[in-house]
Amino acid sequence: MLAAEYTPYVALSGLLMVLGLVGIIVRRNLIAMLLSTELMLNAVNIAFVAFDKMLFNVEGQVFVFFILTIAAAEAAIGLGLIMAIYRLRKDVNTETITELKL
Amino acid sequence: MEQVLNDWAFYTFSALAIVSALGVVFFKNIVYAVLSLISTLIMVSGLFFSMGAELIGGLQILIYAVAIVVFYVLVISTVPEFKGNSVDPGYMLVSMPLGFILFLELAYVSLYGIWKEAVGVITPEVEVEVGNTKAVATMLFTKYLFPFEVASIILLVAMIGAIIIGRKNHVIDEEEAK
Repeated sequence: MLAAEYTPYVALSGLLMVLGLVGIIVRRNLIAMLLSTELMLNAVNIAFVAFDKMLFNVEGQVFVFFILTIAAAEAAIGLGLIMAIYRLRKDVNTETITELKL
Repeated sequence: MEQVLNDWAFYTFSALAIVSALGVVFFKNIVYAVLSLISTLIMVSGLFFSMGAELIGGLQILIYAVAIVVFYVLVISTVPEFKGNSVDPGYMLVSMPLGFILFLELAYVSLYGIWKEAVGVITPEVEVEVGNTKAVATMLFTKYLFPFEVASIILLVAMIGAIIIGRKNHVIDEEEAK
């Protein structure tokens, strides 16, 4: 019955993942979209740790460590790109940055 | 008694995490959204603690809720206030029901699915004896030593890349100016 203890955590991880996805779809601000990706990364972290505790392993927690590292790199690069876009266009609205649109 | 307390910790932290996540998605003012993100990250860290992953919970607060959020605050302080719709009503109409259905499916599968369990060696008894931090750190520095070093290189590359991308005057512009 040990697995039943951790299944609510997996469900919560699903909810946070869906919220992050909805955030990326509906938000028009580039910085807010990056914030939503952080939500999704956190959802994955919760699922990793919950499955770890179910399986009696610690490898998932090691992967959470790597996800934290990659999230820091992603935030640095993403925000650098947003700053570059802002300098070029004076705007971070996705509705006006549409050069690649057909 | 311990189980009851753990349940209450789960309900409290998860409810606050969901409310703050809604704030991240729907606040128009980006500063409020970042504050909600800090709240979400701290609540997720509390969930890690209630699951018994102390090392990850501490790292979550140290790296996520402090270091990464500082990046966002610094960038928000340079980009002026966002004008225009914070959310797109058309996409909202489509994505909210679809997201809800997706969540129902994920919750159904995770609550009523049959998961593989108890195949590893770190049973709760072993974990009490060794300690979560020592177990994770031993795995990190033995089996996953090479990925650990690669992660450090990724961080270095990201740092250099962020400096070059975020620099004010690019080299090409300077050559054109001459």
